[in-house]
Amino acid sequence: MPTNKVNVPNYRFIGKNYTTPDMVAKVTGKSKYAEDFRAEGMLFCKLLLSPMPHARVKRIDASKALALPGVKGILTADELPPPAAFITDDGVMIPPDPRAERGLTNEPLYQGEPILAVAAVDEETAAAAIELIEIDFERLPFAVDPLVTLSPGGPNTRNEGNVWVVPPPAPPKPGERPAGPLLPDVKEFKWTDAEYAEYKQGKLPVSKPSMEWSYGDIDAGFKKADLVMDETFVTPNTSDQTLETRTAMAYWQNGKLFVHCSTQSTAQTVPAIARWMSMDTTNVVVISEYTGGGFGSKVTSGIILTVPALLSKKVNAPVMLRISREEEHFLGRARPGLHGRMKAGFTKDGRIVALDMFVVCDGGPYGPQGDANASGRIVSLCYTPENMRWRGINVITNTPPRGPQSQPGGAQGVMIMEPLLSNAARKLGLDQVAIRRINAPSGKAGIGPAIKGKRDHVTSAFVPEALDKGAELFRWNERKNQTKKSGTKARGIGVAVSAYSAGSIGFDGLFVIKPDGKIYVQTGIGNLGTEAMIDCQRVVAEVLGVPWERLEITWGSTAKHLPWSCPSGGSQTIHAMTRAAHAVSMDAKLKLQEIAAMDLGGKPEDYEVGGERVYRKGGGAGMSLAQAAQRAIKLGGKYDGHELPPEIAKMTKASATALAGQGLLAVAKDKYKRDGISNSYVAGFAEVEVDLETGTYRITDYVGVADVGTVIHPRAFGGQMFGRTSLGWGHALAQKWVYDQHYGAPLAKRFYQNRPPTILDVPVSNFKWAAVDIPDPETPVGARGIGEPPVGAGASAVLNALADALGEQIYRRAPVTADIILMALETGKPGDEPLTAHI
Amino acid sequence: MAEMKNPEETTKTLSRRDLIKGVIAAGAVSSAGYLFRASGVRAQQPSAAGSVERLVTITVNGQQRRVDVMKQETLATTLRYKLGLTGTKLGCDRAECGACTVLIDDVPHYSCSVLTQSVRARKVVSIEGLASADGKLHPMQQGVVEEQGFQCAFCMSGFIMSAVGFLKVNPKPTRTELAHGISGNLCRCQDYDKILTALLKGAENMRRA
Amino acid sequence: MAVIRDVMPAFELFQPATTDDALALLAKYGSDAWVLAGGLDSFDWLKDRIKRPKVVVDMSQASGLRGIKEVNGGLEIGAMTTLTEVVRHPLVKEHFSLLAEGAELAASPQIRNQGTIGGNVSQDTRCWYYRSGWKCYRAGGNICFADTPTAINREHAILDADRCVAVNPSDSAPALIALDAQMVIRGPGGERVVNAQDYFVGPDINIMRMTVLKPNELLTAIRIPGTWGGAKFYFEKIRDRQVWDFPLVNVAAAMKVSGGKIDQIRIAVNGVAARPLRLTAVESAVIGKPADAATGEMAGKIAIQGAVALRFNAYKIPLLRNLVKRAIGGVQEAAWKS
Repeated sequence: MPTNKVNVPNYRFIGKNYTTPDMVAKVTGKSKYAEDFRAEGMLFCKLLLSPMPHARVKRIDASKALALPGVKGILTADELPPPAAFITDDGVMIPPDPRAERGLTNEPLYQGEPILAVAAVDEETAAAAIELIEIDFERLPFAVDPLVTLSPGGPNTRNEGNVWVVPPPAPPKPGERPAGPLLPDVKEFKWTDAEYAEYKQGKLPVSKPSMEWSYGDIDAGFKKADLVMDETFVTPNTSDQTLETRTAMAYWQNGKLFVHCSTQSTAQTVPAIARWMSMDTTNVVVISEYTGGGFGSKVTSGIILTVPALLSKKVNAPVMLRISREEEHFLGRARPGLHGRMKAGFTKDGRIVALDMFVVCDGGPYGPQGDANASGRIVSLCYTPENMRWRGINVITNTPPRGPQSQPGGAQGVMIMEPLLSNAARKLGLDQVAIRRINAPSGKAGIGPAIKGKRDHVTSAFVPEALDKGAELFRWNERKNQTKKSGTKARGIGVAVSAYSAGSIGFDGLFVIKPDGKIYVQTGIGNLGTEAMIDCQRVVAEVLGVPWERLEITWGSTAKHLPWSCPSGGSQTIHAMTRAAHAVSMDAKLKLQEIAAMDLGGKPEDYEVGGERVYRKGGGAGMSLAQAAQRAIKLGGKYDGHELPPEIAKMTKASATALAGQGLLAVAKDKYKRDGISNSYVAGFAEVEVDLETGTYRITDYVGVADVGTVIHPRAFGGQMFGRTSLGWGHALAQKWVYDQHYGAPLAKRFYQNRPPTILDVPVSNFKWAAVDIPDPETPVGARGIGEPPVGAGASAVLNALADALGEQIYRRAPVTADIILMALETGKPGDEPLTAHI
Repeated sequence: MAEMKNPEETTKTLSRRDLIKGVIAAGAVSSAGYLFRASGVRAQQPSAAGSVERLVTITVNGQQRRVDVMKQETLATTLRYKLGLTGTKLGCDRAECGACTVLIDDVPHYSCSVLTQSVRARKVVSIEGLASADGKLHPMQQGVVEEQGFQCAFCMSGFIMSAVGFLKVNPKPTRTELAHGISGNLCRCQDYDKILTALLKGAENMRRA
Repeated sequence: MAVIRDVMPAFELFQPATTDDALALLAKYGSDAWVLAGGLDSFDWLKDRIKRPKVVVDMSQASGLRGIKEVNGGLEIGAMTTLTEVVRHPLVKEHFSLLAEGAELAASPQIRNQGTIGGNVSQDTRCWYYRSGWKCYRAGGNICFADTPTAINREHAILDADRCVAVNPSDSAPALIALDAQMVIRGPGGERVVNAQDYFVGPDINIMRMTVLKPNELLTAIRIPGTWGGAKFYFEKIRDRQVWDFPLVNVAAAMKVSGGKIDQIRIAVNGVAARPLRLTAVESAVIGKPADAATGEMAGKIAIQGAVALRFNAYKIPLLRNLVKRAIGGVQEAAWKS
């Protein structure tokens, strides 16, 4: 709603609405996404997907397919480059991982995993060819429910076992660099009979964990507690479901691979492709001008793009792989569901003195997911338990690969904790806002485990302020006494607190002030549509005091000399790239001052930059940016990019070198100090109205207040507040996966079956957002990202409102659909099979 | 190689005779078609009442376009792959996201679920047909620009076409009415609040224009 | 044969100008032919490459099948009339708003702009096993995948199941049954007319079809008699999302009430069985009774007699009960406004 405003200091651009430079292309349909590109002689390829949840390919006979006119070639897993070692930016070598996901496989680990691809002159021919392929499989044991594979005698989901175990890194030898993390290992783990019996009772057994951390003294904490709660909650698996699937088109030219793909990071997709393809980064060009949604699932695009890349090389023609919506269900990543058991000790006034958190993460077949650990870290930050232990198991299931989805792990952690917190408040007779306020993080709040007695802390937190502002906007105190039931309707209100990491550091900024006086800003961030990629450049205009229209922003192709940038993911961009933008602007400012001093006398610090000029303070001599750019070219060296600072990344160095000599080249790495880990926070308030005869409900009102530091672009910010909150609502309302456990087969592959929210499912006319508007003290313009914490707040505020309307005995899992509510109202208890996954 | 060509231009340079030749010669390649070209799996050409020609004329964005269309070809495919109008997006290809929405005789349709053969005598308008020839944005597009509606914008063309179509029936909708009018479009960024505000602004612009 | 989806295979396309031409094509091609109306159901089958007709007979160009006209105080709706046209038609809105309500709650605006009333009543079930191409009873096999101890069947049948537990997903069908509509069918032998409630078949009659329509026949029109014009109507559809989703359960009722008592009533529900069910036991039980909450309670209980829950769809029993209760006794609204 247009009522939303932010208050920021006297900035000229920061905190103001403006039109981003990509809008006209978007509204006219001229913006090109990966599938919109064509290349001369372009072929299409189609995938053969595994019909089985776990199998081994015994024989492939493609002779009939290859004989079909128009078929140009086939690619199987045998032709993929072997898993390669990976060297991180700081030189740490990660060994090749034979268990990592590849573009194609001979041992499919889930139904829908790609086995081979066929390239042909058109899709119809490629599809007909796939149908002509004869393929024999050996069936292998499988499980799509993490608790089934943990059960005694349950099937293993990989041949070696069913859970991931990550060994601790070896201690460095004296005088040597620390070794990189060791590869995760697969072990077999099954519950004891006693644990299985508890599972059968509907409680998640707290079994031996594969990961564990703690801080404080949990036993002492529980001893102090006046109330101890012990609850189990199950969160859904939900597909990221970007509206643009991960379609990719690839071709080769002079030994270089050109890939048109959909990615959240133009810059960082280059090393990802280089690693997947076993090639040098200098031979990879990524083109991604517009990305049709990512939500974490396209941080460096997807490994499936290696299929058109390799096929293109094999058949010597450009190859387009269009990913269908059904294929996207398999390849598009999903949030892993967590089964959580939470034991919490409260004092009478609601303070959490002890929290014992145990989660089972349904991680799909590849790699341990970070969600499990993140769920514990975020709970430790959001609710600041005095003493806490977190334990978890990363379970391998024969379901599609998981990946990050907005607030990965954090959303699940909040969803597991919030219902318990609400129930505790009811038991203690406390106000729901008050119990969150007494446990809210503030200042340099701690996060995660204590290592050698010391915990990490955040850069800042103003959650009590967010709760106060939200309670006022929502009229919480007035509404908490409202009638709950009338006629066939019940209404309830709920509040929830959420947090997530909101910014990385250490990236590069790069731009050239050219003799036309304009500033040509280069960025390697993906154009995801949150506009963070553009918004962060507002800092350049702000620092240099130039009109916004004088900036030309180049993005979308690594052939266009882009700097090393963060991905538009994990809410990093606004934080990381305003820092980089600030750093590079300060570099430009200094160079302008030096040039002015050189030509006009005096010292650099005698000069001011603004109004498209560098001029002597208090008036007097000066020169335009255009003149300074010309002088920079004449001066050469560091001024026009022929000398570069040593600390910038390899990609930035190469790009700056290519741009050298065109004007005043500014380049810098963000080296600003930061005390703490940057996190953002949201307090969400929801009202729901439930139809007691049908179990359906509507979210009738919502207020979200964010603690994100300085808001850069209010309208884009509001879009994220609504959009990410709505993602959370989806988790409460209807979104889920459905699997037939006997066949290991997905049943809800389509939107009408897995149910992402439509415009009529969300309170599109009753939504307010606000920000606490307190800048983060640890970053130059005080801004952090907002893409994550609205999710958990949105989901949990609605769940809490439902419990307020209907009582506690309604749900033990999300989403809470009409059937769950209706059956709970009928029977007086939450539904059967509380722990079964994917129902 | 790797020189990007606009298929729309390619179509224009082909004479009708070239196209017909391309159709007649079995397995020949019509360079205008990408998804459906040389195909070994085509059905036989019969002759009976109601049989259809492959070469059809459709009116798209006010222009008559002669195009070689497979029997099973959807309008979205023709627009995107034969006519180079890639502003129409395919989000699901199953009538459940709306990214492919175009107007057919002023009525919003999912072009993924319309056979091109069935729109021969009808007027199709896609997102590319909204702005005037001199580049002036349609008032609806202008509204979206003014309000910074949409995030990734993959759904945007479809939403705009739905809104323009709905406004022909209800030119002065309330916020709730417009939400219902565009409810056949899915936004996965879920920027629904800003989208609705922007489209309402567009509706206001249209009434003023 | 490996399976691939999402590429519509080639077929021969006919767009007959008349119903006669269409019937001739159906006669000629027999089981190789597929009738296409709005296409929203058909394209799913075709794009999934599960149904592979050689010939598609697209009715979009056939004359005389589209439009609504007044006949003897009732309506005749051409089978190719779109749902939007039905929803917006002044006569439908004025006299038979029950149908307008049902049709408007189907799918999404674009689907209603294209989907036809004939297609909506004749559409196939959305059982997710069957639609995945699994060879179940309905697909000619000898198992129902949705009715096993491990099956996921939240959206399946609670009534009249016979081997197959799929449900009919139509929103307009129960409204048409409640309005005592008739389906006009044309085939090689000429025209036949069947009552709406007899148009639909359960698995006990034919496990592979949803309607009595034979492969060589076409539904050409739907006739609504004037009998129920302006009666007291009730339609409600329960679904998970407010757009696109098929009903979990829906209910349509037409009542004539005088002096507070129910004189006449027709009530039908869908989403609970393989065909929309007319609830005749409810009808006879409530005639002569006041249209109030107590009669509604009684009606709801009668409606669920014989209902059998599967593993995940027990909720449909109270849902059906409550919807029938509301259809007759009304909804007690909340005192607040939100």
